[in-house]
Amino acid sequence: MKLEIGKFIVKDVKFGEKTFYENGILTINKEEAIKFIKEDEHIIDVDLVIAKPGENTRIVPVKEAVEPRIRPDGRAVFPGVTGELSMAGEGRLHALKGISVLGVGMHWGSFGDGLIDMAGKGAKYTLYSQLINVCIVADTDELEERYEQQKKNTAIRMASHRFAEYLGQTVKELEPEEMETFKLDPITKRSEEVNKLPSVVLVMQPQSQMEELGYNDCIYGWDMNKYLPSFMNPNEVLDGAMISGSFMPASSKWSTYDFQNFPTIRELYKEHGNSLNFLGVIMSNLNVTLEQKTRSSIFVAQMAKSLGADGAIVTEEGYGNPDTDYILCLAALEDVGVKTVGISNECTGRDGASQPLVTLDIKANALVSTGNVSEIIKLPPADKVIGELEALARDGLSGGWPYDEILGSSVKEDGSIIMENNAMFCGDMIAGWSTKTMKEF
Amino acid sequence: MKNAIHYINQFFAGIGGEEMASYEPEIREGLLGPSLALNALLDAEVTHTIICGDNFMGSNTEEAVDKILEFLEDKDFDILIAGPAFQAGRYGFACGTIAKAVKEKFGVPALTSMNEENPGAEMFKKDVIIFKGGKSAAKLRSDVKVMADYANKLLKGEKTLSAQEEGFFERGIRAQVWLESGETAAQRGVSMLIKKLAGEEFTSELPIPKQDLVAIAPPIKDLSKAKIALATTGGIVPIDNPDRIQSASATRWGRYDISKMDRLEAGIFKTIHAGFDPGAADADPNVVMPLDVMKQYLKEGKIGALHDYFYSTVGTGTTQAEAARMGKEIVSKLKEDKVDGVILTAT
Repeated sequence: MKLEIGKFIVKDVKFGEKTFYENGILTINKEEAIKFIKEDEHIIDVDLVIAKPGENTRIVPVKEAVEPRIRPDGRAVFPGVTGELSMAGEGRLHALKGISVLGVGMHWGSFGDGLIDMAGKGAKYTLYSQLINVCIVADTDELEERYEQQKKNTAIRMASHRFAEYLGQTVKELEPEEMETFKLDPITKRSEEVNKLPSVVLVMQPQSQMEELGYNDCIYGWDMNKYLPSFMNPNEVLDGAMISGSFMPASSKWSTYDFQNFPTIRELYKEHGNSLNFLGVIMSNLNVTLEQKTRSSIFVAQMAKSLGADGAIVTEEGYGNPDTDYILCLAALEDVGVKTVGISNECTGRDGASQPLVTLDIKANALVSTGNVSEIIKLPPADKVIGELEALARDGLSGGWPYDEILGSSVKEDGSIIMENNAMFCGDMIAGWSTKTMKEF
Repeated sequence: MKNAIHYINQFFAGIGGEEMASYEPEIREGLLGPSLALNALLDAEVTHTIICGDNFMGSNTEEAVDKILEFLEDKDFDILIAGPAFQAGRYGFACGTIAKAVKEKFGVPALTSMNEENPGAEMFKKDVIIFKGGKSAAKLRSDVKVMADYANKLLKGEKTLSAQEEGFFERGIRAQVWLESGETAAQRGVSMLIKKLAGEEFTSELPIPKQDLVAIAPPIKDLSKAKIALATTGGIVPIDNPDRIQSASATRWGRYDISKMDRLEAGIFKTIHAGFDPGAADADPNVVMPLDVMKQYLKEGKIGALHDYFYSTVGTGTTQAEAARMGKEIVSKLKEDKVDGVILTAT
């Protein structure tokens, strides 16, 4: 399978008379864009706001991030979501690099929503402070979940995917500035040189623990709660087969942007043919009951073994309960002789002294840690807020609270905040961006 | 100029060896023995040296600690440094004991140093910072220097590094660090896997700690005479959540009177747990907190009594330390009320 990503390096984004891309500048006709977003009748109010790195701006509640892209051959960027189903991972894709479309609540937040600071000491907690963010700030008619802590956020999330494709249209006919190629030969058709290298798989555990559908990550538009592990080509992941859900606490989340650019996949590609033979991705899931968790770990271990994997990287989109799926899967792989490395964050408590993962197994002896969800972060007021700051305290975001006898509310009168790392949007960068680790003190 | 206090034993104070090990605690102004070296390296003045015989500390620990804390009542000091104690077991115990007591009583940093074979290291490494020291007094100067360097950082409010980088025993306290190398998790993961596959050494960033298992209690012999209590981490509370238990990362728990009801009614109780779909539990709280079934068992004589209260908190994102604290608090209440057994329901 061969995927070519044609890159357009965006240096600036501004509003203008028409929507087009030229010389690194993306210009958006705001009125037309808003009209497009409002084609979904569930979006009852919407504004578009541009947030740039270095601006003293705070964005909250952030629900989704998507890289604007287009498929020049007319196929949907997110098959089964923004258009008809077709196989992802093959062919040509055009991508606007350095920017993301953010789905932001105009008022209402939910458990899995996060916060982004574009400057100051808060900026280092999330990758998205380094991107130019085109924020869809929207209110919806989803009244049934307005006061629920758990929200599906369907309208805003779907608007983000659709609008990312809308912006991608600007580069549909243009010649990319750079090309990047991701190519894997079929497993049984690889050269002897590649075959003699240690074979590895990447096991991904996207969030799928809500039994009511609509909250979970989707694969080709299919809710992953009703799913068993399958073998995938990594190109499918990079090419829009996966979209993010609306449940996991923000710092542990993989946004759709994360799937589209998944650093651990890219790193394995870099080593493919050099030090490793990258077989592909075993796309697993995260489950509720122990039986479901065990069943998935059996599927993963069997597939890895049958594919002839010598090693595996296992990575989970989550912490807490999902740690059981993560550790079970690592142990199941080790039990069938596949050497493992795990990548996840941990929940070590505000004082850093608690057990880092919910379950432990000495077989999991090679783990990368990308951060502690419970670490307390205090940040000064920002000049500008995109969204609604009070959502952090009021709406049950996983790292915010309305009241605490010692710490008070997460949001102070002067606009300064105190929160757990939990609410930093994709803050632990488990997809692989994280330069953060955990050390003993 | 900041002030420091140094603790040493009778041997290093030049008072005597084993024959003087019962020497009672004493405080002296100024320097003697290793304090001279410490004072020279510290950006603070060592104003006093405390001396105590190792046997005295070992046999009369409480008395020794009380005396020493009393010595310090009227002293103005910013840090306490004990030892280094090398491999000397009783000296290590003394340094750990005093460092812990002073840190807790006066809230100042307290440091010590001992060899990894010193049993005092295992005993106190979670309580105070203990540097990994040499085996014998031949390492006195270098052990003192390591402590002084770290103390200087603390006194100046400078950034300190991880346990491994600074050279002290790991205390089980983990914190986030941004790697200066800029190496990403993806790069670290892939390179760790390459090493593991090649049989080379690698370092896990999350070493699996020793398990802290609680022994399973002996079974209740006769359930029909036992008083059973209900507890849950499923977040079932009265609808107004009177104890304001958090929906995630809970630090609070509550107990609620159920003596006059046969089941938990929807609309009167609900769940505040943010980690699962609350629909079923809100519609019938008994699915998480099975009061209905327990009352039935009571009527059937299956259990002797049902405790008048149920206990509740939220398990999602709640740390092990907070959970253990809340558990202990709840258990003490249950013991007061002579409860024989508890059914703990999750979500």
